[in-house]
Amino acid sequence: MSLPCARFCTLATALTIGTAAAAEGTLHLFANGEALAREGFVAPELTRDGWELRFDHVFVTLAGLSALQTDPPFDAAAGGKPAATQTVVFDSIQQVTIDLTDTDAQGRVLLGTAPAPQGHYNAVVWSVVPAQSGDWAGQSMVLIGTATRDGQSVDFTLTSDATHDYVCGEYVGDARKGFVAAGSDADLELTFHLDHVFGRHDLGATDHMNTHALGFDAFAAGGTHEITLTGLHIGHVGEGHCAVSYR
Amino acid sequence: MSERGIVLSVTVKALVAALLLTGPAAAHGAFVDVGATEAVAIHARYDTGEPMAGAQVSVFAPDDPAHPWLTGVTDADGGFVFVPDERAGQWAVQVRQAGHGAIGYVAVGTDGAAITVTAASTDLSWAQRLLMAASVIWGCIGTALYFRRARTAEPA
Repeated sequence: MSLPCARFCTLATALTIGTAAAAEGTLHLFANGEALAREGFVAPELTRDGWELRFDHVFVTLAGLSALQTDPPFDAAAGGKPAATQTVVFDSIQQVTIDLTDTDAQGRVLLGTAPAPQGHYNAVVWSVVPAQSGDWAGQSMVLIGTATRDGQSVDFTLTSDATHDYVCGEYVGDARKGFVAAGSDADLELTFHLDHVFGRHDLGATDHMNTHALGFDAFAAGGTHEITLTGLHIGHVGEGHCAVSYR
Repeated sequence: MSERGIVLSVTVKALVAALLLTGPAAAHGAFVDVGATEAVAIHARYDTGEPMAGAQVSVFAPDDPAHPWLTGVTDADGGFVFVPDERAGQWAVQVRQAGHGAIGYVAVGTDGAAITVTAASTDLSWAQRLLMAASVIWGCIGTALYFRRARTAEPA
């Protein structure tokens, strides 16, 4: 290699490194309650005890939203602290209450957008927290709707004031998510699996989820009930799992 | 460059058959290279221990992590084996079935021979049967044990 070429290559390398260090894209963070939130528990996907549920609202209050690049990738089954090499804090969201029935065309609720250094965001951290204000202040989740079984319909409001902290690994779904390139957009999703709360009739009584889920029989009188969600794995990233703790 | 693994050997056998059946009449022979190398073996199961039989598998190469490099289906035991090419870096494998999914990672060394496990899979979910703490168990089979050239057909 000639000396001029060597100098040129060195300069080019330096420029490349400098550009890479400053390269940013945009990261969008969504929440999704899946069809069970938007369309309800409809046959064959009734609750574990056979109720059809239709939701008017599924309010969730979120805080502490961050997307992480982790190396090694965070293993939710093992738990522990993610080895973050890059963290994007959605600090514009101190606390937000969303309605998982009020979504965009893709069934999602946009939580926030933030500039993000390029790379693969393969972990997400967030908390479900009691709302500080609003009609449901003090509650972290509120589910309002109508339940029907054997010709009997009841209106219900289920509330929870629990705080749950989630640390999730990579999103798992039809496509991998979270790849931020310079000047381009990427997205991530928090996914709420309501069948962990009510169970699924079509999975059978011995299904592990059904043996833990609340079902709906306990609320069959209608009205407002406080529900205990401790130990239920409601939050996911697509189909990907999260480590969750309740406090 | 060595040939790779059992999967490749099956492919080579198929190629030999094709040559014998459709090769030019003037051909003087057919040859096959048979070698062994490392592969990545996946075992996907639910946390009940039940294998994820027939689950969809997507393999992602390090330089194109957003698009599957290989897709397939697990066998009756939840197993799936693939041979990464020479691209060094982190390979990812995603396994999905009936709303449950997990992803695992494996690092391939720059010489294409050294494979080291970087992480087990995420927990595979929950719904059907038991909480699907699915595990995609990565393994490495062999380490480029030998390279052997065998002549499988003599010249006509």
